[in-house]
Amino acid sequence: MSAIGMYSVEQVTGIVIIVGNYGSGKTEVSINLAVNQRRAGSEVKVADLDLVNPYFRTREARKPLSDLGIEVVVPDEKYLQADLPILSPAIAGLIRRPSQLTIIDAGGNDVGATVLAALADSFGKKHVRMLQVVNPFRPFTDTIENCLKIRDEIEKASKMTINGIIGNANLIDETSSDDIYNGYDFVKALSEKSRLALNFVTAPVELLSELDLSRFSCPVLPIERQLVPPWKKAVALNR
Amino acid sequence: MGKILMKGNEAIGEAAIRAGCLNYFAYPITPQSEVAEYLSRRMPEVGGVFLQGESEVAVGYMLFGAAGCGERVFTTSSSPGISLMSEAISYISAAELPVVFVNIVRGGPGLGGILPSQADYFQATKGGGHGDYHLLVMAPASVQEAVEMVMAAFPLAEKYRNPVMILGDGLIGQMMEPVEFSDRLISKPTNKDDWATNGMDTRKRNARNLVKSLFLDAVQLEEHNLALKAKYDRMKQEEVRYETYNIDSDFQALIVSYGTMSRVCKTAIDNMKAEGFETAMIRPQTLFPFPVQPIRQAASKDGCEAVISFELSMGQMVEDVERSVQGKRPVYWHGKAGGEIPTPEEVVDAVKSFVKTK
Repeated sequence: MSAIGMYSVEQVTGIVIIVGNYGSGKTEVSINLAVNQRRAGSEVKVADLDLVNPYFRTREARKPLSDLGIEVVVPDEKYLQADLPILSPAIAGLIRRPSQLTIIDAGGNDVGATVLAALADSFGKKHVRMLQVVNPFRPFTDTIENCLKIRDEIEKASKMTINGIIGNANLIDETSSDDIYNGYDFVKALSEKSRLALNFVTAPVELLSELDLSRFSCPVLPIERQLVPPWKKAVALNR
Repeated sequence: MGKILMKGNEAIGEAAIRAGCLNYFAYPITPQSEVAEYLSRRMPEVGGVFLQGESEVAVGYMLFGAAGCGERVFTTSSSPGISLMSEAISYISAAELPVVFVNIVRGGPGLGGILPSQADYFQATKGGGHGDYHLLVMAPASVQEAVEMVMAAFPLAEKYRNPVMILGDGLIGQMMEPVEFSDRLISKPTNKDDWATNGMDTRKRNARNLVKSLFLDAVQLEEHNLALKAKYDRMKQEEVRYETYNIDSDFQALIVSYGTMSRVCKTAIDNMKAEGFETAMIRPQTLFPFPVQPIRQAASKDGCEAVISFELSMGQMVEDVERSVQGKRPVYWHGKAGGEIPTPEEVVDAVKSFVKTK
């Protein structure tokens, strides 16, 4: 078993919607969850529903994901760089005929989650879970009260209920083990206060060997960073 | 306070607050809108004002008015929005008022695109508006540097009674990096009694302050322009800022680049060094005043065969690089202006194509 396999989150199935505040890391989490589950043998599709952010979207990782056999549903190529909120009809189709695991990467805040309400008909009675990504090192989600406020706003805008929390504490390249531990303690407290399950926390793949995993009561999803600026290289996924 | 993870745009908004600026007037435009979004939430928390103008033309004159009253004030926009403000920028420069402008540059000309660009270099450093004026222009290459430059911009604008512009490309605004804010907060303008129309009874000096840009008398207008020129000359003496990279090596090529492009060039320089091919970089942190002397000196070094300006534009800064090098070495340009950023590999290939002996 590879080092990464040891830390895999358990099998996730159905439709999983990833929400959270701007810059909480929804896209990086969506991509890495997709890769993790695909490597474990699941059939995985990812839909980019981020209609609000013009930079650093799932669509940028389309190539490495397709190489792994993960289908990425994004707006038409010709609109890829358009500053327009385009909801591809393919998304509704994807929801009607979901894969073993279908990950929907929503846009930031309540604004980004609003579009989910428009998809209510497509969701119908399917098994859908909505998970809130939290990075306590981001402004506006540095307190439990603020995270609960965002949860409330997203639920109102999407007309859906959040079912769980993903802890994504990080300072990108400068993340330390202590940051991961402190971030875990934060989302653990948030989970207790909100009575939402803590589904998993994330950790940069480079830090895994240093971490004391017995400290966590939930699985750890390794992050192989894909959304990088042009002077850095994304972690190669084809290992 | 420890580090937090911020988008450049959010960090710019927070930095202005930390610099004691509680007046922010703006109009949203991609890729800068997060500043407005961030400050629409943060300004009320700190007792400040965010007012969205009906257009950038209006915003320009709101800045003029607030600065004329002695208030610290700033705006953020992106390329087409700055074009709309250009008339007011000329008036504010003429009236010698301190205002901070942030331009998170997108592709042009016209509506262009929303991806990163440095094609507003000419507009920022050589005019944009009419008349003989200059902005003091700083260009950050990281989110942390954007914070530091925004915080430095307000005292500089007041020192020179001149608008200061932070020129960042779209990526500086959009990317996230860990940042730290110093606890040292800057308070109110200290010299505003010299120029603000803040009421006679508030100051010791018993003379009226007049904010104006109209000088119908030829002699007076000439004197006004000479005074402005003296100010810009003083900036050239006192405010040039730049960073060097691998400059102590026996470099065969000198790269000049700023902002996001300079981050790519650093990676390229490291990659070339690993192959045993030495190149160096001068990264202007101020675009006006431009680091003319440091570039001339570095270019003159023995063994330097070429000077290359890498830009996210079709070749604008290269004119200032040529002016600096004064024909002592061949000067080349390499760049892109559609929104794609050259990769480190592309930079390496370009450098090698300009250097003959390898």
